[in-house]
Amino acid sequence: MLTTTPTPARQASRALARMIAVRVVGVVFILLVISLLTFGLMYLAPGDLVKNLLGNRPTSPEAVAAIREQYRLDDPFFVQYFTWLGNALQGDFGTSVRMQQPVTTVIGARVGLTVALCLLSFLIAAIVAIPLGIASAARAGSTIDRVSSSVTLIGLSAPTFALALLLLYLFAFFLPIFPIYGGGSGPLDTLYHLVLPAIILAAGLGAILMRMTRAAMIRELGSDAVSFARARGIAERDVRWIALRAAAIPIVTGAGLVLTFLVGGTIIVETIFALPGLGSLLQDSVLFKDIPVVQALTLVVAAVIAVIAIVVDLSYLALDPRVRTREFAR
Amino acid sequence: MSGVRGLVVEKLAVTGPAGAIVHPVDVVVPPGRTLAVIGESGSGKTMTARALTGLLPSGVTATGRFSVDGDALELPADPSAWRRVRGRRIVLLMQDPFTSLSPVHRCGDQIALTIRARIAFERGADRAAAVRRDRTVRGAVQAEVLQRLAEVNLPAEVARAYPSALSGGMRQRVAIAAALAARPRVLIADEPTTALDASNQGEVLDLLLSLQRAYDMSLILVSHDLGLVSGRADEVLVMRHGEVVERGRADHVLVRPQHEYTRKLLEANPSINDVMGSTAASTGQVGPTGQAGATAEFAAAGAVPLASTDDSFGPESLLFAEGIAKRYGTTQALAGVDVDVRAGEVVAVVGESGSGKSTLARCLAGLDAPDAGSVRLGGETLPPRRRGRTPDQMQIVFQDPYSTLNPVFTVEQTLREALRVAGRPAEDLTELLEMVDLGPEFAGRRPSQLSGGQRQRVAIARALAPRPRVLICDESVSALDVSVQAQILELIVRLRDELQLAVLFITHDLGVVARVAGRVLVLRRGEAVERGTTADVLTRPQHPYTQLLVAAARDDSIARQNHDPAGSLP
Amino acid sequence: MSGQPGAPPGSLPGPPQGSPHSGPSATVGPRTTQLRLLPRGPKPAWSVVASFVLLGLVALAAIFGSVVFADATKQSILDSLLPPFTAGHLLGTDELGRDVFALLVAGTASAVVGPLVIALGSMTIGIVLGTLAGYHRGWLDMIISRFSDVLLALPVMLLAIVVAGIFDAGYWMTVALLVLLFSPSDIRIVRAGVLEQAPRPYVEAAQMLSLSRWRIMFVHVVPNVWPLIVTNVLLNTSFALVTLSSLSFLGLGVAPGTADWGRQIADGRGLMADNPAALIAPAVLIVLVSMAINVVGDWFGERLERKGIR
Repeated sequence: MLTTTPTPARQASRALARMIAVRVVGVVFILLVISLLTFGLMYLAPGDLVKNLLGNRPTSPEAVAAIREQYRLDDPFFVQYFTWLGNALQGDFGTSVRMQQPVTTVIGARVGLTVALCLLSFLIAAIVAIPLGIASAARAGSTIDRVSSSVTLIGLSAPTFALALLLLYLFAFFLPIFPIYGGGSGPLDTLYHLVLPAIILAAGLGAILMRMTRAAMIRELGSDAVSFARARGIAERDVRWIALRAAAIPIVTGAGLVLTFLVGGTIIVETIFALPGLGSLLQDSVLFKDIPVVQALTLVVAAVIAVIAIVVDLSYLALDPRVRTREFAR
Repeated sequence: MSGVRGLVVEKLAVTGPAGAIVHPVDVVVPPGRTLAVIGESGSGKTMTARALTGLLPSGVTATGRFSVDGDALELPADPSAWRRVRGRRIVLLMQDPFTSLSPVHRCGDQIALTIRARIAFERGADRAAAVRRDRTVRGAVQAEVLQRLAEVNLPAEVARAYPSALSGGMRQRVAIAAALAARPRVLIADEPTTALDASNQGEVLDLLLSLQRAYDMSLILVSHDLGLVSGRADEVLVMRHGEVVERGRADHVLVRPQHEYTRKLLEANPSINDVMGSTAASTGQVGPTGQAGATAEFAAAGAVPLASTDDSFGPESLLFAEGIAKRYGTTQALAGVDVDVRAGEVVAVVGESGSGKSTLARCLAGLDAPDAGSVRLGGETLPPRRRGRTPDQMQIVFQDPYSTLNPVFTVEQTLREALRVAGRPAEDLTELLEMVDLGPEFAGRRPSQLSGGQRQRVAIARALAPRPRVLICDESVSALDVSVQAQILELIVRLRDELQLAVLFITHDLGVVARVAGRVLVLRRGEAVERGTTADVLTRPQHPYTQLLVAAARDDSIARQNHDPAGSLP
Repeated sequence: MSGQPGAPPGSLPGPPQGSPHSGPSATVGPRTTQLRLLPRGPKPAWSVVASFVLLGLVALAAIFGSVVFADATKQSILDSLLPPFTAGHLLGTDELGRDVFALLVAGTASAVVGPLVIALGSMTIGIVLGTLAGYHRGWLDMIISRFSDVLLALPVMLLAIVVAGIFDAGYWMTVALLVLLFSPSDIRIVRAGVLEQAPRPYVEAAQMLSLSRWRIMFVHVVPNVWPLIVTNVLLNTSFALVTLSSLSFLGLGVAPGTADWGRQIADGRGLMADNPAALIAPAVLIVLVSMAINVVGDWFGERLERKGIR
């Protein structure tokens, strides 16, 4: 009687596995291309490669030979690439030229702070922006809507560094409640140091999230499904939940957009607030031309973004039954 | 007002930013009675329906008052006042079941939402959340969901399904169940069957009526389709440009209309009985078409092809296609169809959605390459795609007038380009416009400044500019108002005669077929099930599917002719 | 904002949409439309007017600024760190004695021209490749989409910092780099717009007239995507402004000593206690100009959307 029968569990799980596999293959392909490009960076960079890799150490024939051997500079390009890639997949990204330590150690020491910063700012942004977006949509055109739209405009347009510095100025001279430099010691103190940077990041994040939520909610609240719900006597607040459920799909899509902002913003915020995270590591490494670190960071960031993208894609399955029907019936 | 049962409306008026949309109207619909509100687009019928449920878009307000079973509401009313009325006493059933049901909620849940809202209101609670948490009620809610589904002839498994798994007719029934779960006294159905297939429409409408009887509700049917409501409504209100032009008992208004406009609507609504009846009786002119002439011609020829293997017309036909097959993914849209059209005749291809009729048109035109089969024009085989074809071979007039013209081009730019492609001088523009009954003042206008009918005329002009030998009309009048449809059909028939075009007319509407086509091909799920002259196929359909289609189309006509004045419905 | 819009790789193009050829032939009779909130009146809000005024001033400064304030970068130790409202120095001077206001005006050109070039260049690539991909589909679409997906996989700031830093890129090289990095997003947007238009009957009618593919793509289809394109160029200008100034703030892209807002802010960091105007003025200016472009972009988008609805 139904035009499409519900798919049996086994077929559904096979289809799910197939979906994941397809996306993973696509992502792996993209990462390979990126890894090739990042590896090629080393060759295209101006300046003497060996001198670069020596960094601050003295140049002597032995040192040069040692470098040439360590980095297999005499091997053909693709052999070097595959060796590097092989090592990278095992977690060995070489040695940082600047710090003279394994890259993995250097990154590992800083990853916690950056992750904490990102999570904190995302949390602040989501908790403030999404309800604000819903409320603005429900009262579109009213004062609260106009005010919040104006405020988010600032968050959306203002460059993170400008916002950061203006707020820094404010907190340094007029409102000294938050520390403005450094990462602090110990978990609670670190958190305290992260508040101000997180708020600044959340401003930009929140602005994007709020706008997206508002746009999606306005579209849903004007839809026929919502009108019909009202027409059958469903209370306005329940109607809003119905609209939100449908609006969740474009909001989740937009969450992916948020990632690109977060990466750039983190680099800047960590540099300005002197936080010892991955962002400032990248900045310093680039200026110093510490290529192994730059390569590793680029690849890691790309991989993380790609994984999150897959997760977002798969979340459609949970959110939108039409996608489920379409994918599982194949 | 108190003590009066049913719906009583006094001086209901709707105003928008540009002025009055609906002029003050009074209406009474007692319980158990059905009122049909008839009008074309822009008549204000939908706004009236929405005004009675407080669902007007922003910028549009309603004034007046109405009462349900004595409980009155002054308009405009604030949201708290509407809470008592909308979804309790009056419920609106919307037109398009593909958008009125939430795609992310299961069908059963959508019905349950209405039930919980009703219970919450009865308890004086603010939100249904409290009701949802109340375990004692849960079972009762579930039971009622199943009961509502059964009431609309849907099996229990639909409750767990999402709307995307259901057909249009089934979705509309879920919507009806969800609407009735509010236990309204008045049900307003806004074009409830317009978005459904012809074979479903009658069924769903009759279901509505039987439920109305069962619950003793007042029913308002808003529609543009006279055929559909005749035989089903007790009273009729005809609206035009926001004014009521005629009202009264259905059997009076629809059989002996007083007002000019109502008469025009009735005439424009082609009833196949009317046309067939006259054809069988005489060989004279039937309405504005020369259809009777074509029938006579075939009768004289002596051959009345019924079987699909008969290709005695094949080689002489201007357009001859055989074995056209096309598959999209896992669906076989067309499974080997033959069709032929001669110069100066109109062949109709009839089918419902999924029949493959549009696919056939696209394959013939070269917009999609068929998987198998060949298309011959005047004896020479045409290449499967557009490459290698010329504009003077075949042209198409598409269905949707709102996207058939490039919005950024003026009429002049569109037509000049067509003329240039045909190698004709730009001065032919005025002549081209005249051919479709448009004056030269239309040249400078953009599509957004034209009505649906005017846009379709420009589309026809564009199609005719390269002087094609074959014209394919793909549901070219389906999206137009009934009165405009008649005009465009007249135009097409006239052009067929003047230019000796071979016209292939794709449609789902048998009334259109009766009016315009000499021969007809019936498609179902990609296969040709019947072909022959219009007269034969419509009066003596052989295939059961054709019989079903003809019966459904005739139902409305017969119902209109044989309305029982005593008021009891069949 | 130092990022730029771009959907993550491999993601679905939003919620599933029906195409005009699939699904039931539902439009029988009057059109089914969902009722929408009526659009706002045509009078532009004061914020839009103010934005236009600001942008006009910025344009003037960009054209004439380096002429009027030719010696903005001249250092003068004697005048170092004068506070705002000193005679002859409205916003004071920085530690090298350069007048802050003069530096602001002189830096307008580099702040504005680069982003415009980026937005326009990126959109040009977007139009060409996006239209080709959206109209033809098939293998051409696949190649173009894969290419843009790869570029989208990395955040713009990250790549920009890495390449500009490692390669010691100058101003115009950075601009070229950003044109490349912004293009995948524009390709996607134009492609989506073209995908929406291509199945429409007016395009098929053009095909029935046997018009050349190029003509159909660029004379028939692209003008209908135009509103989307223009709005995006405006928004991209704003993002490019932010990105470029972020890069110069970090010390990348512009040579030290040139008049540039990002540079000014970087230099002004150390002067917060002495002459805060050296930091605040350029920072506030960037925020305001970016906001103004966004406001104009939004307003334009709304106007076009209203006109676009039948």
